[in-house]
Amino acid sequence: MKPKSWHLNRREFLKGGGIALALPFLNGMSWAAAGPKRALPKRMLVSYFAYGAYMPEAPNGLPVNGKPHHEWSWWPCANEGPLTFNKSSEPFAPLKNDVSYLRGLDHKGGWKMGGHSSGDVFATGADMTETQRTNSISIDQVAANALGHHTRYASLVLGTEGGTGSYGNCKTLSHRGPGRPIPSMQRPQEIFSRLFNPYAGKEVEEVRAGLKREASILDLLLENSRSMKHRLGTEDAAKMDEYLDSVRSLEQRVERTSKWTQEPLPKIETKGLNLEVAYNQPLEYIRCMYDLVFLAFQTDSTRFATLMLESEHSQSSEMWNYANYALGYKGATHDIAHKRPEDFSGRWDNWRAQQHAYFLQRLRDTREGEGNMLDRTLVLWGSAHPHASHSNQNYPLHLAGGNHLGFKHGRLHSFEGAKKVPLSNLFVSMLNAVDVPTEKFADSTGAMTQLTT
Amino acid sequence: MNISKTSRRIEKWCLLVLAAMLPVSGFANVSGASAAKVKQFFAEYCTHCHGVEKSKGKVTLHGFSFEQGTAEKLKLWERVLEALEGGDMPPDEEKKQPTAAERKEIAALFAGELRRQTQQLAATAPRVAVARRLTNFEYENTMRDLLGVDLRHKESLPEDPVKPYHFNNAAEFMLVGPEQIDRYLECAKRALASVIVDPTVPEVRKQRGEWKPAGANRGMGNDEVGIWGNGRGSAAQGIAIQNPPKTGEFRIRFKASAILPAGVREIPLRLVMGYNLGENSSTLRVKPVGTVRLRNSPDAPEVFEMRGRIENFPVQPETPTKGKPVPERLHITPQNLFDDGTLNDENNFQKTRELSVPRAVVEWMEFECPLTAEWPPEPHRRILFDSPLRAADPKGYVRAVLERFLARAFRRPATAEEIARFTAIHELVRPTCATFEEAMRETLALVLISPQFLYHTVADGAVVAPQFELASRLSYFLWGSMPDEELLRVAAAGTLAQPRIMEQQVLRLLADKRSADFVANFTMQWLSLAKMKTVPINKDLFPRFLYYVPLGERAGTEEPYRPTVRDFMLDETVAFVGELIRHNASVLNVIDSNFAMLNQRLAAHYGVEGVQGDELRSVPVKPEHQLGGLLTHGSVLIGNGTGTAPHPIYRAVWLREAILGEYVAPPPAEVPALSDSAGASAEKALSIKDLLVKHRQQEACNDCHARLDPWGVPFEHYNAVGQFQPMVPREGTRIRLFDLEKDKSLDGYRAYLQTVNTVKMEADARLPKGPTVDGLQPLKAYLLRERADDVAGNVIRRLMTYGLGRELTVRDRFALEGLLANAKAKKFGMRDIIIAVCQSELFTTTSPLKKPTANLSR
Repeated sequence: MKPKSWHLNRREFLKGGGIALALPFLNGMSWAAAGPKRALPKRMLVSYFAYGAYMPEAPNGLPVNGKPHHEWSWWPCANEGPLTFNKSSEPFAPLKNDVSYLRGLDHKGGWKMGGHSSGDVFATGADMTETQRTNSISIDQVAANALGHHTRYASLVLGTEGGTGSYGNCKTLSHRGPGRPIPSMQRPQEIFSRLFNPYAGKEVEEVRAGLKREASILDLLLENSRSMKHRLGTEDAAKMDEYLDSVRSLEQRVERTSKWTQEPLPKIETKGLNLEVAYNQPLEYIRCMYDLVFLAFQTDSTRFATLMLESEHSQSSEMWNYANYALGYKGATHDIAHKRPEDFSGRWDNWRAQQHAYFLQRLRDTREGEGNMLDRTLVLWGSAHPHASHSNQNYPLHLAGGNHLGFKHGRLHSFEGAKKVPLSNLFVSMLNAVDVPTEKFADSTGAMTQLTT
Repeated sequence: MNISKTSRRIEKWCLLVLAAMLPVSGFANVSGASAAKVKQFFAEYCTHCHGVEKSKGKVTLHGFSFEQGTAEKLKLWERVLEALEGGDMPPDEEKKQPTAAERKEIAALFAGELRRQTQQLAATAPRVAVARRLTNFEYENTMRDLLGVDLRHKESLPEDPVKPYHFNNAAEFMLVGPEQIDRYLECAKRALASVIVDPTVPEVRKQRGEWKPAGANRGMGNDEVGIWGNGRGSAAQGIAIQNPPKTGEFRIRFKASAILPAGVREIPLRLVMGYNLGENSSTLRVKPVGTVRLRNSPDAPEVFEMRGRIENFPVQPETPTKGKPVPERLHITPQNLFDDGTLNDENNFQKTRELSVPRAVVEWMEFECPLTAEWPPEPHRRILFDSPLRAADPKGYVRAVLERFLARAFRRPATAEEIARFTAIHELVRPTCATFEEAMRETLALVLISPQFLYHTVADGAVVAPQFELASRLSYFLWGSMPDEELLRVAAAGTLAQPRIMEQQVLRLLADKRSADFVANFTMQWLSLAKMKTVPINKDLFPRFLYYVPLGERAGTEEPYRPTVRDFMLDETVAFVGELIRHNASVLNVIDSNFAMLNQRLAAHYGVEGVQGDELRSVPVKPEHQLGGLLTHGSVLIGNGTGTAPHPIYRAVWLREAILGEYVAPPPAEVPALSDSAGASAEKALSIKDLLVKHRQQEACNDCHARLDPWGVPFEHYNAVGQFQPMVPREGTRIRLFDLEKDKSLDGYRAYLQTVNTVKMEADARLPKGPTVDGLQPLKAYLLRERADDVAGNVIRRLMTYGLGRELTVRDRFALEGLLANAKAKKFGMRDIIIAVCQSELFTTTSPLKKPTANLSR
């Protein structure tokens, strides 16, 4: 195939600039110029990739004595200490002082789940060891509950497969609480519209009138439903509670939306933005998802987001073919985890790293206050499985950003042996860093001090 | 006597506490001698793996006693019983095996005690129906049948969970959150904007395109549609409607015929609408409008008509350009779907652009929307019906409208309280709305997000008579939609639970075209088929399987917007199950059958001669076809393969889960990854032997895989795209496409393939506790001979699970046994089984457990 000149340009344009090019005026709106009356936001993203990563020297997530560090290992270097980068992690080299690697951490609550299931607890740390099948609140929702009222949207929940999934099979990282998973959104066009065009072209006055009406009828609806509930058996009543809670929070959301109509919507130029990108173009699609998180952060539409880049058990989704589309790998993406073929595993991790680094770079390239956006954004990136795909311990974990939130980077930290602490300790530190005073999250035993100044 | 639910719950709780506190006494009426016998049996054959030291499969039996068990415990007993009956345990490699008589005796003891205790449990704590919300599939169908307008909603709702080998209509999957309610509200508003129209007749958009023939011997005329289209300005490009109406029913009329070469009987001509297919991109979107099958020659052109809702089609957005921007538009594109399985062959690709292949001729095409011959349209009048009340007593009219609508939306008569409530809501919104219609849309939108609508089979005895609940359960089972008027009438008469009436209704529902939704949805989930669509097919090995774009930016990627053989394979499996139901054929046909459901493309793939056209039909199979039953379906074999090679483990899991109804535990977390075995050898080594050897080297793997792998090995003669292929190419071989120069003919190509396929696949395995089988035919024969009851029992269980919308438990075990005996007596007819499921007490009995309403109990 001979690429045509126009074609190449368009592609490069999309790959390289993402939608930044479409936002020439947004810098003018940046928080540096927002004046003293509003404090700069502190943000957090939790992102997940499936099936673990390649680390032949550390099949269960911890290096095995005597095995040399592999040049394609997901871990950038062999030992604890200052980061040096290998082939797999090379996209993060320019971000050295903004990233940390954490070895030996996991959620104990997921240990006994199926060998492809502990992604369920990645952002929650819920105890699902025995017969417990209900997840608990996720870190982003703890933050959203505390501070979500500062932004138009309390949180943003994205995932490439959409919906909630089910036990052992989740398609979202976010949970409001037990039995309340939040469905992730996966279609860029829809995400964009909901974030930046919520009034669908209507005038604000009309929207406000509609919302007012909606609030009052939702109230009547609640009454109607309550009258039904007291006649139900216990288990049905529990279902009805689930429903009533939903209507109640929708009602609150309507109120909130109504309040936010007082604030102007950020104007975002859609030119050059390929929101109709299909899953079979993984590079453009994944970057588009990252771009949407970036835009939501940049416009301060929300400060807390989760992004399930890949889900486990994705047989019936196009995600099953990601490595195929991206690298020409002749098999399902999941097979890479099982086979760990030398020629593809490292390249696949490198591909993922490129996309994540792209996002971090965009944050870092955007000035904000005295520093850049990345300095005020904590970005956790990892999987709930190490190299050996059926292990649920010693996650590959990567934390970036937050240099102005009390974090310091540039090292690989190891929590092996006696140093092992729950991953939830990191969550405690992350929450405190974004101004959500937290003493305990899930099974935490304290805050994690190694990464904070 | 009406015992309040609370007191029963307390009673149940007390029983459990008692059972826990008094472990020795319990309720056992099994003689001490029997219990001792069981203990001794366990000690002898079981506890060294399931005891103090090891607890394989998380099963421990050392502390066993027959005291009254909890539901959890009964589940374990059931597993033990199944292992004893099925002969799975102790595993083959154990030297010490019980005799058949010993096994039988212990199994009988277990069965007896299990039955007694489940009955006891059932008496103390009756089953509780749990309200489940409509699945997205049910929601879309219900909106269609309620509002009389067929609109797509699924794409606007959060994805429903999918779990392999599970039906997602159970309450545990169907959660509700504010996002759902929000989307339901959006869908409801959008749908009502389409249904309830304003009184003024809207402007009608009309458009027409015409194309001229090229004349004899002048090549392909502009009026012709070839398999891969035609040039610009031709009929193959169709027509574009700029700034199309946003809502309304449309009609497309076109005059068409077919140029058929010798031996070709018909061409399927499909219209799709949406983005412009001429723009070369994989992200464009279109939706099919309909298909006609052309048999008439250009001497006798015919006019065809298709209708649909314009809301369902993706509108290509405005394209900004420097000059005049191209406004948003809808393209209607005709597609020639002729497919004999060779369209991908290089030379054939050239040929398909030439005159020797069938071409459709479209002389003209007309589009019209909305259709205003009747205004307001019928769905509007169904809700806002004509009545003198409307003028005379507007309030009374609103009440009447709501009463009628609520009864249909709630699938039972509305209570006075509900009518009053929604009337009040209407009064509240009316002043804020410009028109009566707008206020009605707002009010009805609220009906459509109320729990009475979103949840079906709400066990609300005070409002929902059990008969209406049953009517809903039945229609959501067999239609995936709400009951129609007749079913509600029968429900109102209170006779639906009568076996004879139930049978009539089941037959009526199954004969209705809505039952196609049930067959498709049930089959897809039962057999866990969806995954076959995303298996990456190895192009080097199977160059003719899918069609690839030959030229341009997307050269080498899969040709979009044509139904592929993969799509047809799903249709094949669904049609097969539908055929069993339609003819009340034995469910054992799933193992082997003397027919297959094929169209031309599928027949070409499987090597069956003499099938023309794209319609699926029942075709008799001969032994040399190596077809019959579900086990040879491409959908099953591809979904449980890697796209390069068969995957015996996936296929074994599928056979045991989907067909034999066994539960195959996923690899547990503690087990070391099979990184050097399972995946690797499934792709690399075309022989399965290494894999098995590797599994057996590790005890942790061997425990499960020794009982699993043998079920998958006999499938090895069926390749990764579902064809019978006992000889395979050497590893890493690339197969070239048909080449007219080299091969001269398709027979020549077949000869070439034989020179490539030089390695023999081994497909012999010794089944656990069974004989050695070599290939699929002997496996099928074994299943029919030894496992017929398991196969039929599994179908019954799946139908019941789907019909009830909940997982079955140990309590339902004995009801299912009765159904199996009954089905066996009737030669396992599949329609009879569905009738029996619907007539069963499990299905017809609603939970008797109701909290009495406050005013009734006081």
